Amino acid sequence: MSYFGEVALGSSFQPFTAFREQFGFVPKLFRAQTLVPRAIEAQGELISAILFTDRALTRAQKECILLALAAARGNAYCFCLHYQMLKLLGVTEQRLDHIAADYQQADLTPATRAVLRFTLRLVASDASISPEDVSEASSDGLTDESLLEAILTAALSRLLCSLSTGLGAVPDFALHSIPPPEHFSTAYSDNSSAVDERSGFHLSAPELNAGDFAPFAFLREQFGFVPNVFLAQTLRPDVLEAEAYAIRSLLVPDDALSRAQKGRLLLAGGPSEADLAASDGSLLNFARKLSVEAQEFSISDIQALREQGFTEQQILEAVVASSLACFFNVLQVGLGSAPDFAAMWTSKSADPKTGAKKAHLSDSDQRHTDIILPVDPDSECVARVQGGDLDVFEELMNRHSQRVYRTLVGILGNQDDARDAMQDTFLKAFQHLARFEGRSKFSTWLVSIATNTGIQRLRERRPMESLDETGFDEEGFRPRQVQAWTDDPEQLYSQAEMRSLIESGVMKLPVKYRVVVMLRDIEQLSVEETAAALGLGISAFKARLLRGRLMLRETLAPQFISSGRKGSMKGATI
Amino acid sequence: MAEIGNYLEGEVAEEVRLQLEHHLSHCQTCTVLVDSTRKTLKIVTDTGSFDLPEATFRPIAERIMTRIRSEGK
Repeated sequence: MSYFGEVALGSSFQPFTAFREQFGFVPKLFRAQTLVPRAIEAQGELISAILFTDRALTRAQKECILLALAAARGNAYCFCLHYQMLKLLGVTEQRLDHIAADYQQADLTPATRAVLRFTLRLVASDASISPEDVSEASSDGLTDESLLEAILTAALSRLLCSLSTGLGAVPDFALHSIPPPEHFSTAYSDNSSAVDERSGFHLSAPELNAGDFAPFAFLREQFGFVPNVFLAQTLRPDVLEAEAYAIRSLLVPDDALSRAQKGRLLLAGGPSEADLAASDGSLLNFARKLSVEAQEFSISDIQALREQGFTEQQILEAVVASSLACFFNVLQVGLGSAPDFAAMWTSKSADPKTGAKKAHLSDSDQRHTDIILPVDPDSECVARVQGGDLDVFEELMNRHSQRVYRTLVGILGNQDDARDAMQDTFLKAFQHLARFEGRSKFSTWLVSIATNTGIQRLRERRPMESLDETGFDEEGFRPRQVQAWTDDPEQLYSQAEMRSLIESGVMKLPVKYRVVVMLRDIEQLSVEETAAALGLGISAFKARLLRGRLMLRETLAPQFISSGRKGSMKGATI
Repeated sequence: MAEIGNYLEGEVAEEVRLQLEHHLSHCQTCTVLVDSTRKTLKIVTDTGSFDLPEATFRPIAERIMTRIRSEGK
């Protein structure tokens, strides 16, 4: 279904609820990102502000732009998605096929045709929107509000296309034949790096005070100034809020890739390629391929990062950060804003006017790149295996067999399956070990391979639909057992009975809670390590852990309440 | 709720801890919840569940090492 494993996020995960309401289902594009839920939340905010909100353009007009741009890009996933959405919005297949065959002659309102012409020109290879393009569009009756929405929709299209390529999402619906890209633009190319150096905006943009407007205050706090690309969008404060939210939740946290790494990825899709020379080679090549040579991108690009020791969460973040870079790049081109946004991520001062403001960012960039990693107790063994001493791999397995096993039981909920999946996990680890670079601890990397192996098996075993559901009403979960427990519960049962009680209690937990309780409380990994291996932020992980512990407490309570001792009393005869 | 989780981990600020303990001093339900969750954690961490017996793991490890050695040749 995609290059990445899927974990259950529960029926109450808000972005999925919104997608179900608006799309009628949760597209695979988002299901493929469940390892990093905050990425889905960030995209949910952007999509909701840009696409789901009817303002100057209608939802149908915006879907039409998304359809045309997906076709222009030759992106089957997005073409099928928006084709289906337009059908749901009441556009007949016959009409859609006309639009796909020749939008200039299709039965469209002049405003829709004008908006399509404008956005197709925006993404064409010779692009940068000129003041003449804007005045032509205005004479077609498009207001500044509708042009801003058209540019935002074009940026959203770039984000979704890049995500679907990077994630390897398979179309949600039967594949329609995609019209050849020439139908939409003869001069189309993915390389939209040519940014006009003009400054000043083509569209009206009322001034907003950075002190009063929270997103601007956030951007100033993060980057030292408010980049032009944001100042140019003040007609839509709600979109600015969503963009600031996306930056906050995707780029700022340091739990998978570092902020500095994501900053450089953001640049890779942007215009300042000259600044990239000295940065993380493989990650940047990955990002550049995804943004500039999307047609060539494949699973082998993902595999190459895996083999270098990047975790699934880190690779997923690389896809998302690169796609977000594409989003902002289209905005920058479309809004004709001077390209200071890319420059703000670099540590060198490319622009003397903003150099002083960037000092703040340079400092934080330095801080993140200079982080000293704790010594990995496995590094010596790993190096020996990498050096050809294969037998040492057995020592690594001995050290971590328990951890891998518990991870797999946590996910699969079955000890026999877990034993089976162990072999796959260790073989995968061995096969990729040659290129493991120690970016995370070996044990974290191994648990992350076990997690993905487990998820893959779970998907093979259960229909996709059920993976998203916990089968448990989380919001409705309230502790019911509130009778006091006996003082010393461990004295009530023998060690073997106690183990059996706990094992059956843990097995009853929904998978997402089972795995966190298993790794944190039974295997006793640190909060940071467990969250990293599962691709969760610390606060999301802690919330899940507390819920899991309370559920387990609920299951065990009947055995331990002071008045209701059941089972055999230790040492007593029944 | 998040603070209860941090409290169980011993990771709350002094001020929050005092507030929580003040609440616990007169709320029977929360006292039971915190106490029984703490006991749950203790028995879960002490009991060592889901042990993979050496006798079960050894043949798996041997199969893996055989594969690895044959791939390495």
